[in-house]
Amino acid sequence: MRPAARLALALLALAPVDAEAAGGARSFSEGLLHPLLVPAHALAALGLGLLIGQQAFFVRRLAIASYVAGLGMGFAALIAAVTPTLAGEALLAAAAMSGALVALARPPPVSAGCLLAAIAGAALAFDSSPGGISVSDANVALAGTFCGAVLLLLAVASLSTRLRGGWQRIGARIVGSWVSASALMVLALILGR
Amino acid sequence: MRPLRLGLCSLLTWMLASSVAAAHTGSFGGGFVGGFGHPLFGPDHVAAMVAVGLWGAFLGAPAIYVLPIVFPLVMAVGGVLGILGLPLPGAEVAIAASAVVLGMMVATAARPPLLVAALVVGVFAIFHGYAHGAELPPGADAVAYSVGFVVATGLLHLAGIALGLTVRWPAGRIGVRGAGAAIAAAGVAFLWRLA
Repeated sequence: MRPAARLALALLALAPVDAEAAGGARSFSEGLLHPLLVPAHALAALGLGLLIGQQAFFVRRLAIASYVAGLGMGFAALIAAVTPTLAGEALLAAAAMSGALVALARPPPVSAGCLLAAIAGAALAFDSSPGGISVSDANVALAGTFCGAVLLLLAVASLSTRLRGGWQRIGARIVGSWVSASALMVLALILGR
Repeated sequence: MRPLRLGLCSLLTWMLASSVAAAHTGSFGGGFVGGFGHPLFGPDHVAAMVAVGLWGAFLGAPAIYVLPIVFPLVMAVGGVLGILGLPLPGAEVAIAASAVVLGMMVATAARPPLLVAALVVGVFAIFHGYAHGAELPPGADAVAYSVGFVVATGLLHLAGIALGLTVRWPAGRIGVRGAGAAIAAAGVAFLWRLA
């Protein structure tokens, strides 16, 4: 198994250790687990990871780089005290779109795929704002969230690249449709309020 | 351990971990578990979802994988209608009728073109989604709830497909058609209850 996948799977196995991370990260370890334990974040990472994993090697690298860049910009904006708005909605929209593209087996153009990955990364970062702790602790927690979000995406994308058989690809498409349907309904719930 | 198996184990760990996390915020019942149980505790939903899987298996490729992929996507459209509170008259009747129609399709071994089959399933998916969407709880655990009921719906399809794959044997064919007839009969009972 690739080192990135091994690391990310170890992160997954650690998940039950610190369930408090779901409520809002306050330390590096909680930040690390935050993307895994917040359902909307995990859903977006699953949809995007499946989509990226089904692309060609070059496109995969570009999309992952865009996601990391989006995450980085989002966290930089958070550190610069930019107030996040509509981050949750953007994240769910990215999850719905990624899932639908996987379900329909329609890979997007490279530029659109990279843009989608960057938006998902930035939205995930904006939606991970830690509250009620000192600035230095918040920065450490954000660093943990950054690592957790990257590792989670790498884990899913790595798993997705291995789904090459006929039935495996159909399974990925079914999971994509589940991701899209779940995200779409919650998005409607939020926007309909 | 093979990577794929390890990945699936990790996914299971994540699901359990998410439940633990949800328990901390006091929303265990309304989260993934609540959503997962929603279709499973509605016999009308169970009958119709299993019938979709059975019919897909009966029709063979590509219906066997197109129907379980298309159903959640169309169901989400119905879910959005329910969430937004838009009126969809006769939703409960349509859900009960879906068990009758889909059960009859299996029982009679109907083989319409894929487009027609997808349309029939899609129309009923909107009503099922509407019922689920109308009961989606607002709040932070809405995502977990929604994932739960979509996954449960998908697993019911897969259960129907697994059962339906026995059509390759003569006895299995009789069994699947019998299951379709039983689902149709259950659908009539659901309709009778609503009358």
